[in-house]
Amino acid sequence: MMRIMHTASAVPSANAPDHLDLIVEMTGDFAHSHDVEATMRLGLERIVERLGAEAASLFLLDEADGTLVCRASLGPVDVTGLRLAPGKGIVWRTIDLNAPQMVKDTRRDPDFTNVIDGATGFVTRSVLCAPMSMRGRVLGAIELFNKKDGHSFTQTDSRLLQVLAASSALALINTRLVAAMAEQEALKRELALASEIQRAMLPPPQPADSPIHGINLPARGVSGDFYEILPLPDGRLAFAIGDVSGKGMNASLLMTKTASLFRCLAKREDGPGRMLAAIDSELHETGLAGMFVTMVAGVLDPRTGRVVLANAGHEPPLLWSQGRFIPIEDGMPPLGIAPDLFADGCPESVVDLDGGILYLFTDGLTEAHDRNGEMLGSDGVKRLLDAFAVMPASERLAAVVRSVEGVGTLRDDITLVVVEDGRLARGGGFERRYAARPETLAEIRAAVTGVTRELGCPDGLTQDVVLAVDEACQNIVRHGYKGGDGDIILQITRDEDLLVIRLMDFAPSVDMSKIKPRSLDDIRPGGLGTHLMRSVMDQVDFLPPPAGIGNLLQMVKRIDTR
Amino acid sequence: MKLEIRDMNDARVVVLTGEIDLRHSPTLRKTLMELMFERRNVVVDLSGVTYIDSSGIAGLVEAYQMARKGTNRFVLAAISESVRRVLQLARLDRVFTIADTVEGALN
Repeated sequence: MMRIMHTASAVPSANAPDHLDLIVEMTGDFAHSHDVEATMRLGLERIVERLGAEAASLFLLDEADGTLVCRASLGPVDVTGLRLAPGKGIVWRTIDLNAPQMVKDTRRDPDFTNVIDGATGFVTRSVLCAPMSMRGRVLGAIELFNKKDGHSFTQTDSRLLQVLAASSALALINTRLVAAMAEQEALKRELALASEIQRAMLPPPQPADSPIHGINLPARGVSGDFYEILPLPDGRLAFAIGDVSGKGMNASLLMTKTASLFRCLAKREDGPGRMLAAIDSELHETGLAGMFVTMVAGVLDPRTGRVVLANAGHEPPLLWSQGRFIPIEDGMPPLGIAPDLFADGCPESVVDLDGGILYLFTDGLTEAHDRNGEMLGSDGVKRLLDAFAVMPASERLAAVVRSVEGVGTLRDDITLVVVEDGRLARGGGFERRYAARPETLAEIRAAVTGVTRELGCPDGLTQDVVLAVDEACQNIVRHGYKGGDGDIILQITRDEDLLVIRLMDFAPSVDMSKIKPRSLDDIRPGGLGTHLMRSVMDQVDFLPPPAGIGNLLQMVKRIDTR
Repeated sequence: MKLEIRDMNDARVVVLTGEIDLRHSPTLRKTLMELMFERRNVVVDLSGVTYIDSSGIAGLVEAYQMARKGTNRFVLAAISESVRRVLQLARLDRVFTIADTVEGALN
């Protein structure tokens, strides 16, 4: 490129009929400039100089109103900004025919409309006009007036202007593309920032023993979904899930506002019905521009396991109780529909968890697709929740979301909240996640010792159980993750006189046929762990892992206190 | 786990204290292997061991097998209750030479 430019500009213009140097210079101007107006003016100057014209105008089509606008002008009269409505005239003829127009004597061309001459005293003798077009797409035209030498424009001039106008068109298209890309980049950065701010506004991960957990997966950077978990001063927990109609920036701004209102009002209003009514009234204060919010608000009393719910147009929450799902159907229309809709408050439903689990989710989940391309629907959601039922609450939410996330591009945000009966966890169950590393085994043994004693195991039994859990963890560290990073989830519960221990990992599934106690007559190092586990515990079984992820080992021991 | 080695008579006495699990068993195994290559008589004092798992036991088994191929002795001494329980579960209490005290192991 550099070499061509050098050679070309060294040749005197009179001897360069192809005027390659000018084309190269103009293309370079366009490529390096971000100021389209200035570049077009400079280009026009170069053309006027080269063709020896007295005056020139560059017109571009305004796609908004279909007129031609003069964007650059040279000569005794500056007509920049002049608009030509579609019609007759040399410029429009050039555009309509997409071909150069040469008028050697304006007095003989009926299309010549003397817009400028009369007012300014400029006398137009001859005109040359060429379309700025690229692949049949016409962007505008360049018009030259009068040769300085007094002659008319020539066919050579016409061909040259045609080439220069076409390369200007190409340069203009490129410049516009670059500008659009830069704008898109800036928008992307803004979206990323907004997404970051939004994420920071969602509740932080709850402690493992919290009865309420939530998860949000935005579909496209910023989310129209939200959830909240908020401890109240009296020990109860307020929570909410919501979905703003529409997507993108507007939806996420409304979401941010609604979530802030909830945080503010949850502490002031008693009961979720009044919370929703108050949010509705606040939303109407500022106008919603046709958007609305579906939302469920609730309050859990962890001491009694009682949940009070209010629903404004949201998917019915599902209560899992004794092996089946019951939808909590009561509710009102969405928030933000009409100012007086919630004047009398919002009806509340009372749900006693009684060991059950309450799930709240947005339609992003029900409308997500499974691996077979089928929409999950309410039944699919229930299947997923069932499949991951043995996992701790926060893991379960992550697993459900993960199992639909990877399937394809998310069409909508997914948000999921779980409310559990915290009394059970505190009533004797234990659940914790550990890094699967030799260094954490001591910590696991200490935890198992403490919990099993608390659950009423005599010391000898506690020692045996500690050994069995340690051996099982060792297997996960050595054979499951093979020394790599991973987690172990340990659950210990007492069911009547049975101590039930579950260990979950996310390593490749164990081939159960290979897990067998070795013959003890065969004395060799290693291979002892499984035997020790089986000798100590009454039952050691690999259960089907939740939806095929990892391994789930269950060990049961009868607690004999005699 | 803490590991100390003392010389006593013609033997090396390995004194172990604390918990022996997957984190420490590689060190135990390495120490025992080196002593076995030196063809020394080895007594392992287990009186201060509060916990041992299968990986620790595996190290002891490996040393025992090397000693049996050679002429040196490998004796477990003064085993604590928790060690005895695991050896019993693995039915290895009948395999190892077990002495009540370190002094007894040296005779």
